[in-house]
Amino acid sequence: MSWWARSSLRTKIFVAFSALIVAVLAATLTYTQLVVSSEARRTLSRELLTTGQVFDRLMNERATRLQNSSVLLASDFALKRVIATHLDRATYDADTLASAALSYQTRIGVELVWITDEDGVLLAVSPGDAHIGRSMASLTPLREAIETQDSATGIAEIDGRLFQLVAVPVLGPDVIGFLLLGHVIDDAFAARLKSDTASDVSFVTDDRVFASSLPPPSREKYLPSGEFRAGLLRADADHRLSLLTIGGARFLSLVVPVGAHIPKPVYALVQGSYDDALAPLRALTWRIVLIGATALAIALLICVGLAGGILGPVRTLVIGMHEVLRGNLRYRSRIERQDEIGFLARSFNEMVDGLEEREHVKDTFGRFVSRDVADAVLAGRVPLEGERREVSILFQDIRGFTALSQQLDPATLLRVLNRFFTEVVSAVEAEGGVVKQFTGDGVMALFGAPQAREDHAERAVRAALGIVKRLVDLNVLLSEQDLPQLAIGVGIHTGEVVAGLIGPDERVEYGVVGEAVNLASRVEALTKEVTATILVSRDVAARLGERFEMGRAASLPVKGKREPMEVVEVLGFA
Amino acid sequence: MRRLWVAILLWPIVGAAATISGRVTTPDGKPVIDAVVFVQEADPAAASAVRTATMDQIDKTFVPGLLPIVVGTRVSFPNHDQIHHHVYSFSRTKSFELPLYKGEDAKPVLFDKVGVVKVGCNIHDWMSGIILVLPTPWFAKTDSDGLWQIENLPAGHHTIVAWHELSKQKPEETAQPLPAGENVRDLKFTLALGAARPRPAMHGSRRDP
Repeated sequence: MSWWARSSLRTKIFVAFSALIVAVLAATLTYTQLVVSSEARRTLSRELLTTGQVFDRLMNERATRLQNSSVLLASDFALKRVIATHLDRATYDADTLASAALSYQTRIGVELVWITDEDGVLLAVSPGDAHIGRSMASLTPLREAIETQDSATGIAEIDGRLFQLVAVPVLGPDVIGFLLLGHVIDDAFAARLKSDTASDVSFVTDDRVFASSLPPPSREKYLPSGEFRAGLLRADADHRLSLLTIGGARFLSLVVPVGAHIPKPVYALVQGSYDDALAPLRALTWRIVLIGATALAIALLICVGLAGGILGPVRTLVIGMHEVLRGNLRYRSRIERQDEIGFLARSFNEMVDGLEEREHVKDTFGRFVSRDVADAVLAGRVPLEGERREVSILFQDIRGFTALSQQLDPATLLRVLNRFFTEVVSAVEAEGGVVKQFTGDGVMALFGAPQAREDHAERAVRAALGIVKRLVDLNVLLSEQDLPQLAIGVGIHTGEVVAGLIGPDERVEYGVVGEAVNLASRVEALTKEVTATILVSRDVAARLGERFEMGRAASLPVKGKREPMEVVEVLGFA
Repeated sequence: MRRLWVAILLWPIVGAAATISGRVTTPDGKPVIDAVVFVQEADPAAASAVRTATMDQIDKTFVPGLLPIVVGTRVSFPNHDQIHHHVYSFSRTKSFELPLYKGEDAKPVLFDKVGVVKVGCNIHDWMSGIILVLPTPWFAKTDSDGLWQIENLPAGHHTIVAWHELSKQKPEETAQPLPAGENVRDLKFTLALGAARPRPAMHGSRRDP
């Protein structure tokens, strides 16, 4: 039997509820996971692409602002005049130029101001005085400005730092020099970009990190490095999105070229945390799990409730049924409800009432008739109109009963008698026979009616032997009490009788009538004549086979019969 | 300086005035416009003479854009626009400044050194002019066919040179001796011109007057 079949109804309900909830929960979780994660990725991708555009625009706007400032500065006539001093060594005023550079740096709020001559030779620097007198003509964007005599912007490395630069010509009216202004691209700048775009930005080549919004300890952990970075920053990496797993964290990364080659190309690596984007999903997942757990708990409560409300009464009825099966017909259900369960409980009680009444009838009936007869009648196995059937009839009688009844006081007599009859009834019933009649000092027993038995003759003989055996034991007991011992005679005959209910309505009794009954009584009477304990008619002997030890055989005249009757003595089992 | 002395020594020997003319072309034969052909030797008399010239400002442009003058010339910069101009030069040859003015308010400027003077306007970045200060009064500007002519050149040995703003050769490198006292025709100069420098620009967009 499978586990499921063995399980109680309560377990089944709980398992079914739980399975349903778990299935719904799992499906919901899976679906939510799929939808939300794809949506999160799409949103993050869109955000990063927007960030890339915002980044481009910010850089361009910054360059434009720088350019505008530079152009305005370069138009300053005083500046022109100071720069023009370099055209004539006699008038060259380096100190004024240097102080002008410092002043302009403060005025514009840039991190770098360079003033060069028309060929790109550095005349003044702020801050500091590095590289003065050296040609910077090869530096982007100064080179482009010299070539085009026009302003130019670009990103270049100066003394290990990355600058966003703009170079504008100073006109007088031909180009008499260049003004170069620069914003440094450092961690602070990256941090500002991050505050504008909400994504981490790092300025990198394949082997250097110039600036990053990531705090220094996180850079090694979260910035792709080595070959991995080189692969990421390929030539075709322009505005391409990649999902990277670095240091156990997942990032969606966008590579934006910043148009600088120093000489390796510089890229802005824009990173958005994929895990952060999925954080709401994780929160949602936990909530769903919580809801699911709550639902499971509720299911458990419902099961307990069902057990109390429905299964409890059912279990009570089941226990009641077990009691009834064990024979306790006094058990009654105490369930008082108006629903189906109440109906079941009432029906159960009515059923047990019926059973008890029937049992009571059977008990009462059995006091007057044998239990077997009562059973047969109650079971409807006794046809009311009577029937012919072959039975074996056993008569037993106590020898010298009259003398005994005079010898003993009445109480002792009845006690001895009842004790003996108890043994007789036991021996008869042990063989499926029915004690039909008590005849004062003897009994009449039937075998094969009302319960039909194939081997009624053999059963009758075995019962007779059983009575004799029990009598031996009883006599031992009687002699110990100084009471006279009993001697009996048993006669058995087999023949056809009419069986059925006999007597007026109020005293009807199951019984048999026929010649065979008289003959059985005659056979018993013959035992005194031949001094045998058990005698059976020839009809009986013919049905016994070899299983019994038979004694003398005789053909004796019988009272009321013209022909003598053939009888055989039974001595015991073969 | 030595050449100057040679010229001074030679001066009394020469006789009647001559007219010389010719053409300035690029190596591939195209006419060079606005080239200046002049006698290289200094004329001491030229410095002492009182000369004036004018570089006008009309419609926010210097007119003429190229003004050859003899050293010692006073150039006036009348402003014929209805707006102010602020004419200046940072050139080594002559550095000057005429702060915001209108009409004839600015004083004439004396150009007392030979050389190139680039003139601009502080307000209008695209305004650009050149004043070419020459040692002698014998010069001529080429026309649209690259043709030039110098008249009344005193007799004597002269060296003629050609100048152009974009010329890759210095004037000395173009020097050609001139036979004394003869009218010379078809004196040819060939100038290799560099690429025209882009006009200074602002804001990345070229602005024309």
